[in-house]
Amino acid sequence: MSPDDPRATSASPTVDTQVPTEASRREVERRPPHFARRASDRRINRPLPPGVLTPPTPPPPPHLDDYRTIVGQSQLDTLRYLAKDLKGKTIKMVNSTAVGGGVAEMLNRLVPLLSELEVPTHWDVITGGNDFFEVTKAFHNALHGTPYELTQAAKDIFLMYNEQNRARMQFGEDLVVIHDPQPAGLVLSRSQTAAHWVWRCHIDLSNPNPSVWEFLRPFVEQYDAAIFSAQSFTRQLPIPQYLFYPCIDPLSEKNKELPDSQVQQICDEFGIDRSRPIVTQVSRFDRLKDPVGVVQAYKLAKKYVDCQLVLAGGGATDDPEGAVVLQEVKEAAGDDPDIIILDLPPWCAIQVNAIQRASTIVVQKSLKEGFGLTVTEALWKGKATIASAVGGIPNQIMHKLTGVLVHSVEGCAFQMRYLLTHPEFARSIGTSGREHVKENFLMTTNLKRWLLLFRILEQTKGRRSQAS
Amino acid sequence: MATAENIAERPALRKPQKPFYFNTSEHLLRIGRQRASNLCELLTALQTVPDDCIFQHTFRTLQEHHFIRQGFSNDFAHWSLFACNEPALAEQFASVDVREFTAIEGLRRRMVEILDEFLHSNNLSGSRPAHEPFYFCASEIFVLPTFFCADTLKGFLDGLNQVSVHSIHHHFIEARLRLHCMSNDFSHWLEAEVGLAEPADAIEQIDIYANTMEGVRRQIARIVSQAMNQDREAR
Repeated sequence: MSPDDPRATSASPTVDTQVPTEASRREVERRPPHFARRASDRRINRPLPPGVLTPPTPPPPPHLDDYRTIVGQSQLDTLRYLAKDLKGKTIKMVNSTAVGGGVAEMLNRLVPLLSELEVPTHWDVITGGNDFFEVTKAFHNALHGTPYELTQAAKDIFLMYNEQNRARMQFGEDLVVIHDPQPAGLVLSRSQTAAHWVWRCHIDLSNPNPSVWEFLRPFVEQYDAAIFSAQSFTRQLPIPQYLFYPCIDPLSEKNKELPDSQVQQICDEFGIDRSRPIVTQVSRFDRLKDPVGVVQAYKLAKKYVDCQLVLAGGGATDDPEGAVVLQEVKEAAGDDPDIIILDLPPWCAIQVNAIQRASTIVVQKSLKEGFGLTVTEALWKGKATIASAVGGIPNQIMHKLTGVLVHSVEGCAFQMRYLLTHPEFARSIGTSGREHVKENFLMTTNLKRWLLLFRILEQTKGRRSQAS
Repeated sequence: MATAENIAERPALRKPQKPFYFNTSEHLLRIGRQRASNLCELLTALQTVPDDCIFQHTFRTLQEHHFIRQGFSNDFAHWSLFACNEPALAEQFASVDVREFTAIEGLRRRMVEILDEFLHSNNLSGSRPAHEPFYFCASEIFVLPTFFCADTLKGFLDGLNQVSVHSIHHHFIEARLRLHCMSNDFSHWLEAEVGLAEPADAIEQIDIYANTMEGVRRQIARIVSQAMNQDREAR
């Protein structure tokens, strides 16, 4: 579960800090408002700032014109032109959850934008009992390569709930998009509709559990097309496969521009000293994100360059393993006052945004990764980014051009030292990284891909009916 | 180079007979069936993949990476360096200028020649597994009009400054596959319709590998502005 996942709960999130001395308290009081605290002040065992304890009201979704200053008028003109011939045609998006997770987050923005372009888009969520979601969670893990024994009972549960949803749903739209494996069986309704059916797979199928994949494959092969998030995530299929990179919304709380005063205020609240270099990893406390490896790399680099390390994430309060990993991270950090560990509630998007913006370098030293949208977020903020060459990260980071790729703790440490002592190079890859995101990984590009795909499918249908 | 004398001799610029229509192109990436896990497999694939795959990994990838200042060349060069650790081969691939080709077949032949020669002199490199496979992709291409249509040089400059970099790529780089000649839409129009032969040549000589696409846009604009100023002075 990602730190921005609203399903995650956090009963009493805290900042991992130490009790201040009376002298340090007095010193803080003497300072002007934007004078950052020194390391010794910040390890205060205090609760998170009150502003982050309750979820803020979400802002209304943006309109297309709100993106003009970011992507330019010509891009908006392109989107409107592409939508022109699709005007009045309808889309149905189906996934398995209305809240939480990257898919729902993306659909929350994509659906209103498509509708604004007069391509009315309806978003439906399949229903199912706990038994269904247990089976599909197991399928999800198995498709990622986790060992799993597929039973007839699991298949029956999957098929039964897909049948129930098929009976409940209407598919009168021109394009039906089914997201991920949970509702994949809905394609059995295809023969009763005139719609194009597309399967959007958000997960990495490069190394799936064979029994689960062989069970799902006959469903997938009935679609008109499949969409994957990276070339390496695909399977050999008899249907066309398209590449849709995941995207970030530049106007979301996590990615919108922030005034420097707000960045400063949030750093002050967390005890982050902006007058010194800041190295940050944003990710939940999960072994696959290798937060301990990041601490080790920081410690190696720290022998040569002065810096602070911020590990900002979540998942330690609602996930027993997360709590264990958080403890391991604290032990690895020891009593270093320059390591700031933040176990943030899932709604702290603005705080994450500010921390990323305040950072000198952003790290994503994952051992395994999906697409790695935290990397996208860092690149969008123009940050020099060090990341492992796993999952979809090499699609985002072209080594030494839009960031740097590493394969070990030592490699990560070296790149920290190098980037901290070569600010011109760091700035240059940061600038290219932001352009890379602007070109390939923004919500507006994602919107364009859907319009292009819809037009391609319509053209194919047109050609087919002409031929017949 | 333009001098006071030859500017004075140069005929005044013509009013274009035909306007310049700024178009743009958009692409959707289709993931192909072929992939290469080492250089021998790359050679086989280079000989057999459809033309649109070669186009994607050479012409099109330049558009995808138009912002890279350090000189991005093509996907084969990038993969040879970072996945196969073969810098000499990467340099060879990178030295191929897509603008020397007016058809994909010639470009494919050149890439095959480079790799074939390399594998002849480095036969151990051919079967060494790459860190990550090369996935062949292709693009579905849509050519779209823009709101910009120029029937004067000033209008041309306005359009040039406002269209997206995709439009610049479409007219400046992809054009030669459409025109089947060693030129581009901008130079073609400036020479044929306005009588600007020298600036048209100068535009054709802009180095796309040492510039970002924004840099290319700026250089074209500078050349056209200079031509307009010289024409004004001559009058």
